[in-house]
Amino acid sequence: MKPKGGVAFNGVFILVTFLFFLLLFTYSSLNLKNIDYGYRRQTLIRQEKELLEQIDTLTSEKAKLLDLARVERLVMEKLGYRYPGPEQFIKVFDRSR
Amino acid sequence: MKVNRSERKRAFVVFLFFCTWFLVVFVTLIKTQVLDYNRYLAKIKAQSHRILKLHPKRGTIYDSRGEVLAISVKTKSLFLSNKDGRKSRRLLDLVCRTIPLDRERVRSIRRRIDRDEHFIWVKRKLEDKDYARLKALRKRVDEGRYLGFIDEHKRIYPQSGRAAHILGGVGIDEQGLYGIEYTLDGVLKGKGGRVKAVMDARQRVFRFQYLEEPVAGRDVYLTIDSVVQFFVEKELARAVETSHAKGGAVVVLDPEDGRVLAMASHPGYLPGRLRYTPVHLLKNRAVSFLFDPGSTFKIVLASSALENKVCYPQQVFNCYNGTYTLEQREISDVHPYDKLTFEDIIIKSSNIGAARIGLRVGKTRFFETVQDFGFGEKTGIRLPAEERGILNPLERWNQISVASISFGYEISVTPLQMARAFNTIATGGYLVTPHLVENIVGMRLPPVRRRRVLSASTCHTLLPILTEVVRRGTGTKARIEGVNIAGKTGTAQKNIGGRYEQVYVSSFGGFFPAQNPRLTIFVLLDEPRGFFYGGDVAAPLFRRVAERLMVYLRVLPELEGSSELRI
Repeated sequence: MKPKGGVAFNGVFILVTFLFFLLLFTYSSLNLKNIDYGYRRQTLIRQEKELLEQIDTLTSEKAKLLDLARVERLVMEKLGYRYPGPEQFIKVFDRSR
Repeated sequence: MKVNRSERKRAFVVFLFFCTWFLVVFVTLIKTQVLDYNRYLAKIKAQSHRILKLHPKRGTIYDSRGEVLAISVKTKSLFLSNKDGRKSRRLLDLVCRTIPLDRERVRSIRRRIDRDEHFIWVKRKLEDKDYARLKALRKRVDEGRYLGFIDEHKRIYPQSGRAAHILGGVGIDEQGLYGIEYTLDGVLKGKGGRVKAVMDARQRVFRFQYLEEPVAGRDVYLTIDSVVQFFVEKELARAVETSHAKGGAVVVLDPEDGRVLAMASHPGYLPGRLRYTPVHLLKNRAVSFLFDPGSTFKIVLASSALENKVCYPQQVFNCYNGTYTLEQREISDVHPYDKLTFEDIIIKSSNIGAARIGLRVGKTRFFETVQDFGFGEKTGIRLPAEERGILNPLERWNQISVASISFGYEISVTPLQMARAFNTIATGGYLVTPHLVENIVGMRLPPVRRRRVLSASTCHTLLPILTEVVRRGTGTKARIEGVNIAGKTGTAQKNIGGRYEQVYVSSFGGFFPAQNPRLTIFVLLDEPRGFFYGGDVAAPLFRRVAERLMVYLRVLPELEGSSELRI
């Protein structure tokens, strides 16, 4: 016959061990989650930075494309546009006023 | 159970062994965790903790319409980690075959390899295609042991040479060197920060903490309108070419608040290639070019005479048929006149008449007006190398000085100062500080300085005289049908080494529509060859610029006998 005190001791021991491992598991999983969040945050920050850099590059490209000297050259060379001469201006007088 | 002696001895040995082992472990732990704690902590930190420097992006410069004039974009720079001279030299040869590198640069890198320097820049701010080629090369032959890339920012001026003298340019480390880039460097460059990053074994950051928050460079909005600037630069370049001039400058102001809508200086340069630009091209003639204004300065004289009520427009002056001697100095007119009224002296630009008016005004009153117009002091525009001009102190003025300054000699001014003087009449007597910076994001700018220096009645009297200059005087080539332009021509010999030589500066200043000015323009051509009178070379430039801007800014002309003219 086993003593009563021994069963109680075993029960407490199992409970304490269980709680200890539960605590350990919770702590480590939380910590791992934090580390994972750290990585994800870092990735997002990097992505944001890259996107901002892309915006800058695209803004610069857009400004280059809209450069008036370039546009003027293109319309003159490719479309054959010319600045109007003085004789090509038509003056309209508003006599109603 | 009985345990014999030998078993007990063995058990003791085992026990002793475990005790010793435990003791060793314990001592080692104490040593590691307590005694050498700081040393190991430092080692761990050295492996996983990094202090990273954060370089802020330089602020963007926009024109008043929000068009980008200067922007910083990310780029890569190539460096060589010189661990082995022989290998480094071989890699350098491969790099030379992959991207263009100038010979002097290659020689310098070789010298540095020979000196066993560990970190050597090979090429900074690489073009995208060069980076792609080098990346492939690095992967193929080096695997990142010797060649490496560092992220940097590169300043881009997307509109190439537009407003080059206003923008200036930056150095290799993006430090402002000229123009607005220099003046507003503190605002544009921002402030670098530091971050403490925790890295894993693969050197990936998973936690970081700011030690010093970086402050990004502020964006700056200029008053310049890039379309106006484009037209002005184009017309100026054409005028310089056709008149075979050495250079030129044009300033366009908004009379209302002194905003500089355009400021062009010819010859220009590309701000993106500042390192390769000769220094003389960097000179912004609009603020750094000193010249004797010649007859355009007669507007200051006329203002002084009318303000001090010593003359009236119909007052007649003897112009001595083209030659007048004052204290043994001869003053002459291009066209001889016997007698001219005050207004005709301005309209026909008589030097003798101007000298006679100047003498009547007197040196003290004239000097005060010249000072009131802001000559002899900087305009306050935020550009480096702005000249204040040369205005002798009153004590050094004599009769000859008064006469000479009356028609724009013995005084040196900048085109911007002259533009401001014309603008003063355009605003009805207010001297407005011209300014280039419209807005700095996140900062409040001081209000524009504006003070009255002429009465409204003086400007009111002067206005028809200046419109007559364009209608029937020396400035007829600036005339635009249907637009009331007020202006004045100027031609002055250049003072080279203290002597007036037979080379000229031609100028024209004016504003329109005269009754309700929308634009003040001052144009200047330096040493035009062939035709050199302001009325012949500068006035047509003024007209062409004005015509372009009229269409763009919708300044509709008004014709006599009709209520409106539409183009």
